[in-house]
Amino acid sequence: MPGLDAISRGLMFDSLKQYAKRRIPYDLLRELDRKNEFPADILKEMYDTDILGIHLLLIPSEYGGLGGNTFDITRVCEALAHIDLGIATSVFATFLGSDPIRVGGTEEQKRHWMGRIAKEALLVAYGATEPDAGSDLVALTTRATHVVKNGKIVGYRITGNKQWISNGGVADVITILAAAPGGPSWFLVEKTAEGFSANHHEDKYGIRLSNTAGLALDDVYVPADHLIGGVEGQGLLQAQAVFGYTRLMVAAFGLGAGWEALETAIRYSQQRIQAGGPLSKKQGYMLKLIVPNAVKLEAARAYIEETAHRLDGDEHGLQTEGAIAKLSATEAGNKTAEDAIQALGGYGYTKDFPVEKIKRDVKITCIYEGTSEIMEMTIQRGRWQEHLKSRGQYYEGQAAEMDRLQAECPSVGAGSAALALRALNQVLEQVRLQRLTRHQHVSMRLGELIAQAETAAAFARAAAQPHYSESVRFDAEAWQAMSRVYAREAALDLCLKGTKLILGAGPLPEGFVQALGLDAALAAQAGSLEDQDLIARKLTEVFKSR
Amino acid sequence: MRTVVCVKQVPDTTEVKVDPQTGTLIRAGVPSILNPYDHFAVEWALKLKARHGGEVTVLTMGPPQAKAVLQLALALGCDRAMLLSDRAFAGSDTWATSYALARAVKKIGKFDLILCGQQAIDGDTAQVGPGVAQSLHIPQITFCDSIEVEGRKAKVQRHIDDGYEIVEAKLPVLCTMSLPHAHPLPWPSFPKVAQARSKVLEVWTAADIGAEPEKIGLKGSPTQVHKVYPPPLRAKGTVFTGSASEMASKLLDILRQENFIKP
Repeated sequence: MPGLDAISRGLMFDSLKQYAKRRIPYDLLRELDRKNEFPADILKEMYDTDILGIHLLLIPSEYGGLGGNTFDITRVCEALAHIDLGIATSVFATFLGSDPIRVGGTEEQKRHWMGRIAKEALLVAYGATEPDAGSDLVALTTRATHVVKNGKIVGYRITGNKQWISNGGVADVITILAAAPGGPSWFLVEKTAEGFSANHHEDKYGIRLSNTAGLALDDVYVPADHLIGGVEGQGLLQAQAVFGYTRLMVAAFGLGAGWEALETAIRYSQQRIQAGGPLSKKQGYMLKLIVPNAVKLEAARAYIEETAHRLDGDEHGLQTEGAIAKLSATEAGNKTAEDAIQALGGYGYTKDFPVEKIKRDVKITCIYEGTSEIMEMTIQRGRWQEHLKSRGQYYEGQAAEMDRLQAECPSVGAGSAALALRALNQVLEQVRLQRLTRHQHVSMRLGELIAQAETAAAFARAAAQPHYSESVRFDAEAWQAMSRVYAREAALDLCLKGTKLILGAGPLPEGFVQALGLDAALAAQAGSLEDQDLIARKLTEVFKSR
Repeated sequence: MRTVVCVKQVPDTTEVKVDPQTGTLIRAGVPSILNPYDHFAVEWALKLKARHGGEVTVLTMGPPQAKAVLQLALALGCDRAMLLSDRAFAGSDTWATSYALARAVKKIGKFDLILCGQQAIDGDTAQVGPGVAQSLHIPQITFCDSIEVEGRKAKVQRHIDDGYEIVEAKLPVLCTMSLPHAHPLPWPSFPKVAQARSKVLEVWTAADIGAEPEKIGLKGSPTQVHKVYPPPLRAKGTVFTGSASEMASKLLDILRQENFIKP
C-alpha cells in the first residue's frame, strides 16, 4: 500500500502535537487520570474532520478515509503514545473494532460501515475477550442463535458477556465475537440495541482515562446482514489475520511512551546539578539509566519499521514478526519508564512529573493485544517450525546475510548480529536433539532469545541504510553506535542464556560452547564503553534541556 | 483580491542551542517549521480571502525540503504555491533574497497585497519584507497586527514601541505581520493536509523568474557574515535587601537620581 508521503505525515503529526499542546496539557491528563474519567469531548474533537479527523487515517480511501498504510499507522500510534496512552488506546480501539469489517466484511458491509465510521466519526470497540476467554478464544461462551422466518435466517440473537473492552462503555458500534451454529463469527452490534449494556468504567492501574468496560448481551437481536462476511465460522481466522499489524501498533505505543519517558529524563539530567555538575555528565547515571533504554527502543523501532514496510509491500500475516516487534518494543518501553522514575529520583516518584503516569500507562502494552508471554510462545512456535523445516538453515542463512553486511558496512555491528544468530541456531539445534521443547519454560525463553537475535539483525540492516527513516532523530554516528551496542549484547546473551537454558534441562554436549562462538562473542565486547559514552553525548545534544 | 504571502522555513529555535565555544547553532535533531510570523501572515491572507474573496499564492525560496512549509500553507487554505529552488540562489543575503522574491512576484502576475512575517526567527533581520517592497516600488507597512481592506485601500494597525498606530495605504501594498503574544496559530486537519496534495505547487529556478545571475546568490549579496555570536548577557539588576521601608527609600533615591521623579 502506498500510504502518505513524508511531508503530509509530518504536517499531520504537527497538527496533532499542536492540538495536544493546546487542548490536552499535562494538568488535564493528570486530572482525568485521578478522576478515572474518559474525555469524550477530546475524542470527539480528535475525530472532528474540521479539527483533526485522526480516525480517517485508519480508513481506506475508497471508503472515505485517507488510506494510511501500516507505516503511517505505526507512526501515528507512536505520536499518540507520546501524548497519552489512554487517548491512544481509545483511537486504537476504533481501529481494532473496525478490523473485522475491513478484513472479513463483504464489499457492501465495508462501504456501509467504514463509510459511517469515516463520516459520522463513530467510536468503535472490539469485543472478543470474555471473563474466561482471553488469548484462548476457542473457549468463547457468547452464543449467537438463528432467528428464522419463513425458513430463512433473518437475524441472530446474541447472549453472553465480554470483558476488558476498550471503549466498551462509550462506543457507538461494537464488533462482537460469538459462537454461531456454524462456528465463531463476528457481529456488528450498535449500542442502542435492546438487551445490550455496558458495565462501569474499570478502575485500572494505568491508562485510567481510557474507557474499559465489561459488556453484557442479553438476547440482543441483530439482522442477518450484521454477520460480518455473511458466512458463519470465519471469526477466528479473521481475528488471527490482523495480529501482524495490530501488534505492530501496540509495539509503536511502547516505543512512543518509552521515548516520552526517556526524553523527560534526558532533559532533566541536564538541569539537575549534583556534586558540581549536571547528571547528564555523569557516566554512571547515563550508562545505567539512559543509554541502554535508548538503544533498546531504537532497536525495536528498526524492527517495527522493517515489518511495517514488509506488510506495506506484498507480504501478508507476519504474525511472528508482529509478536517480535510487540515483545521488544513494549518490554523496552516498560523498562524505560521504570528507569525514568529512577532517573528523576524523588521527583520521578511524584505526580508533578509525568514519568510515574507513563510507567503505569505503558504497562498495559505488555498485556493487551496478547501478553508478553503469549508473544514469547507465538515467536517460538513460528520460528521453531522454520528451524525444523529448513533443517537448521533458517538462522544460518540470516547469519550469512549479516556476514555480507559486515563486509560492506563494518560499523553497524552486523558481525555481532551474525554471532547472535549462529548461537541461536546452535541452541535451537541442541533443544531439538534433546527434545527440550517439552519444557514450556525452555520454549518461552527461546521466544525471547529469538526476538533479541532477530532485532539485532534488523537494527544492523537499518543502520547500514544510506538514508534513515524520518522517525530517527539521530545522525549515522549515533545510530550505528546504538546498533553496535545492541548487537554486542545480543551475541553475548544468546551464548550465555542459551547455554544456561540447556544446562538447566539436560547435559551440555562436548564442544558445545566452542560451537556456540562464546570466545568471539566475548571478543566483540571491545569498544562497548566508548560507544555508550558517544551515545550519551548524542542523546543530550538531541534532547536539550528546555 | 489577489494576495501573495512570502514565507520561510526555519529551524525551530525553541529547540536550538548555541555552542558557547564556536558561536554556531547546534542543529542536531532540530525540526524545521514555518516561521511563526509568516504563519500569522498566512492566517491573515486567508482571513482577508474569506472576507473579500480572491486568491492566495504562497511563495518561498529554499532547498527542496522547504516544500513542507508550502504544503502547510496549502493545507491551511492557500490556493497555489511557488518554490524558488536553485543552486544559483545559495548564499543569498537579505538583499539578494528580496530581489529574487520580487522577481517571482512579478512572474506570479497582478497582486493587491503582499504579506510577509515581520522577521524570521533564525536570522531576525526583518529586512526581506521591506526589501521586496523596495524592489517592487510599492509602499510598505511593517509590524502589522491587523489589516482591513476597503475598496482599494488598506487600513492597518501597526504596533510601535509605546502603543499602536493606524495607517492607511493604497493597494497594492506590502505588509509585514507581527505576531501577538500567545496567539494560537491555525493548524490544518488531517483531511485538509491530504487534500493539499492535489493543489498546484510549482518549483521555479533562477532562469524561470528571469533573475540576473549577478544579483542572486553570493555574487548578489553585499553582506558578509564575519562572526556569529550570542549577544552578551545584560548586566544583572540591582537587588535591594532590608526591610520594606528601607528598600522603598533606596528605590526612591534611585528614581530621583535618574530624574524619573522630582526631588
